[in-house]
Amino acid sequence: VRRSHAAWRQAAVALCALAAATLVMLAFRARLDKAHVAMIYLLVVLGGSAAGGRFVGLVLGSTAFLAFDFLFLRPYYTLAIADPLDWLVLFTFLVTSIVAAELLDRLRRHAELAEQRAVELDRLSTLGAETLNAARAEQALVAIATVIRSAVSVERCALFVSEGASLRSVAGTDVGGSDHTLIDADSLLEYVVRSGQAAIEREDGTLHLLSVNRPQEPAIGLHHVKAFALPLSIRGETVGALRLSAAVGFSLTAEHRRVLLALAYYAALGIERLRLERTEETAEALRRADVLKDALLASVSHDLRTPLTTIKGIAHEIRHGGEASRAGVIEEEADRLSALVDGLLQLSQLDAGALPVAIELNTVDDVIGAALQRATAVLGAHRVDVVLGDEDMLVGRFDFGHTLRILVNLLENAAKYSPPTAPITVTARRRDRRIDISVADRGVGIDHAEREKIFHPFYRIPGAVADVRGAGLGLAIARRLAEAQGGRLSVAPDAASGSRFTLDVEAAELPSD
Amino acid sequence: MTVLVIDDEPQIRRVVRNAVRDLDLRVVEASTGTEGVDLAAAERPSVIVLDLGLPDRGGLQVCRDLRAFTAVPIIVLSARHGEPDKVALLDAGADDYVTKPFSPVELQARVRAQLRRASKDAKVAKHIAVGNLIIDLVRRTVSRSAIPVHLTPTEWDLLRVLATHPDQTLTHHQLFHAIWKGTHGDMQQYLRVYVGQLRRKIEDDPIKPRHIKTEPSVGYRFETGP
Repeated sequence: VRRSHAAWRQAAVALCALAAATLVMLAFRARLDKAHVAMIYLLVVLGGSAAGGRFVGLVLGSTAFLAFDFLFLRPYYTLAIADPLDWLVLFTFLVTSIVAAELLDRLRRHAELAEQRAVELDRLSTLGAETLNAARAEQALVAIATVIRSAVSVERCALFVSEGASLRSVAGTDVGGSDHTLIDADSLLEYVVRSGQAAIEREDGTLHLLSVNRPQEPAIGLHHVKAFALPLSIRGETVGALRLSAAVGFSLTAEHRRVLLALAYYAALGIERLRLERTEETAEALRRADVLKDALLASVSHDLRTPLTTIKGIAHEIRHGGEASRAGVIEEEADRLSALVDGLLQLSQLDAGALPVAIELNTVDDVIGAALQRATAVLGAHRVDVVLGDEDMLVGRFDFGHTLRILVNLLENAAKYSPPTAPITVTARRRDRRIDISVADRGVGIDHAEREKIFHPFYRIPGAVADVRGAGLGLAIARRLAEAQGGRLSVAPDAASGSRFTLDVEAAELPSD
Repeated sequence: MTVLVIDDEPQIRRVVRNAVRDLDLRVVEASTGTEGVDLAAAERPSVIVLDLGLPDRGGLQVCRDLRAFTAVPIIVLSARHGEPDKVALLDAGADDYVTKPFSPVELQARVRAQLRRASKDAKVAKHIAVGNLIIDLVRRTVSRSAIPVHLTPTEWDLLRVLATHPDQTLTHHQLFHAIWKGTHGDMQQYLRVYVGQLRRKIEDDPIKPRHIKTEPSVGYRFETGP
């Protein structure tokens, strides 16, 4: 409706121009030849066609035809024509204006199409860049799903990745509502992936299969579509599927399907990237497990055998009449072994990604308090200063147990590696959308070269005092616990000599009550 | 008074027996869950020490079976120290848990605390005084070092529930249930924030709380001891 409205307005403007030209020519009618009139009218008609398109051109052409006959061909003010040769002039004029209007219109359409293609190309290149640039493949897939949805203007677009025989949803955009398809969505997708054909489910429940290689066929638009499923393949291998659906039937023109196929290629690329990432992650986990295993084997001889040797020796002594009070050493060594076994179990769980993470709303007060309480025995004579950033309570989203373990470990280390009465400072400060919790000691500090190595299992700083109680796993576990809840654990030299370990967790807003 | 020890391992039973010797308790022992439940009905013990790893049925099930007929304090011995296990136990009706390996002193302290609590439960308190904190349950007022403390309704509910279960760990779930009466709203996730706000009002140092202690990943405990 709006389109024809605009056309009528353009036609009116063109008719005004025609009327103006006619009035001017009428004034000089006596001095004008038929050829002059034909030329000027043709100019106006061509101008109108170029600006307003075919419709305006045709309206203008036929009006000019009538005006020419009525006003400029004798006898004036009738449609009759005296000179038969004038018919030729008039007819030539009409044909020329119609052909010109047609040609101009065709040109315009080509230009429009070229522009549309340019927009499409732009969209595709943006998408390409997004697919390559997104930090994670999941994000790229969400972007692709959004573009597809808007390009085809359909409510829902979901992407699935093939995992063995099953499909897993990886990205989906949803604008509310639910689609009530007659055919089970999962089985349709599975069929599509197996057969390599695209499928269209219509509102009446009928199913149409399309060849993926010739998506333009049939050339007609498909209307009343409830759902559209397309296999996604790359280098001949089907890696996933795409599904469009809506509560109310939508149309898929041949053009839509052409665009969809191009976009689907990017979706396939994104899914391929996701699969590669997964493989890489598995390889990384295996590599870590391998490193851990090597470190474990290397340390088993020392870290496990030393306490066992002590226990065995003292038990033997006591049995043969030694001092019973020496049993306390057995207790200590047993504790140490127990801590080592716990640590190894946790580390292997973390490396296998098997340790559950419960991200919940927690207060920083609470976790620091619990850490101080748990570390009381180790802290001994150390004074602990707690510095909290602001008056408001700091609230974050983190796993309480994991964060507690990290902080206890940091406090224990701080106590262990600094002079017996040196103060330890715990600071918590909001930094944009994160909260930094740091533990600073007054120890000797850590050499630059050692700063990363101390987070490796069983690593001991060369020349450091032999640690009688630790298992050499604390920081390795702490860092992995931090990573498991999306944070980081790092170390930097502290201004007041010593080291500052900083953990960051996600900040949250305080509820208004 | 009698303590019932339900454990299949004689070594552990011996450790428990030695730990409670100083408390002047009669010790009754059971080596299976079935036997334990039967003895609990017959002997009416004052406290039960229950091992999770029993040959005939899970400790969690024994806990539920006991709760079907008795409110006697149950202390669970657990080898695993995964927090989810502890939470499940407390939700099933256990009063406390001790993680293996434990020191006899620790177990003794836990048994003593449960006995003390059981004797207090008998009389319904109208007001609770702990250290410098006085809670009047009838007039719904709280004062810290004789200065009245203003609490929001949610903070009051939280304090009342905790204070009327002294020295007992209440799981997050139990606290949600007691405060929000089973309505599952958005407020539940703020439990920890309310605890933080309550501590800022009633504790001298909210970072080192004396009254409301955190049981990491399990819940909170209102402490009355020194």
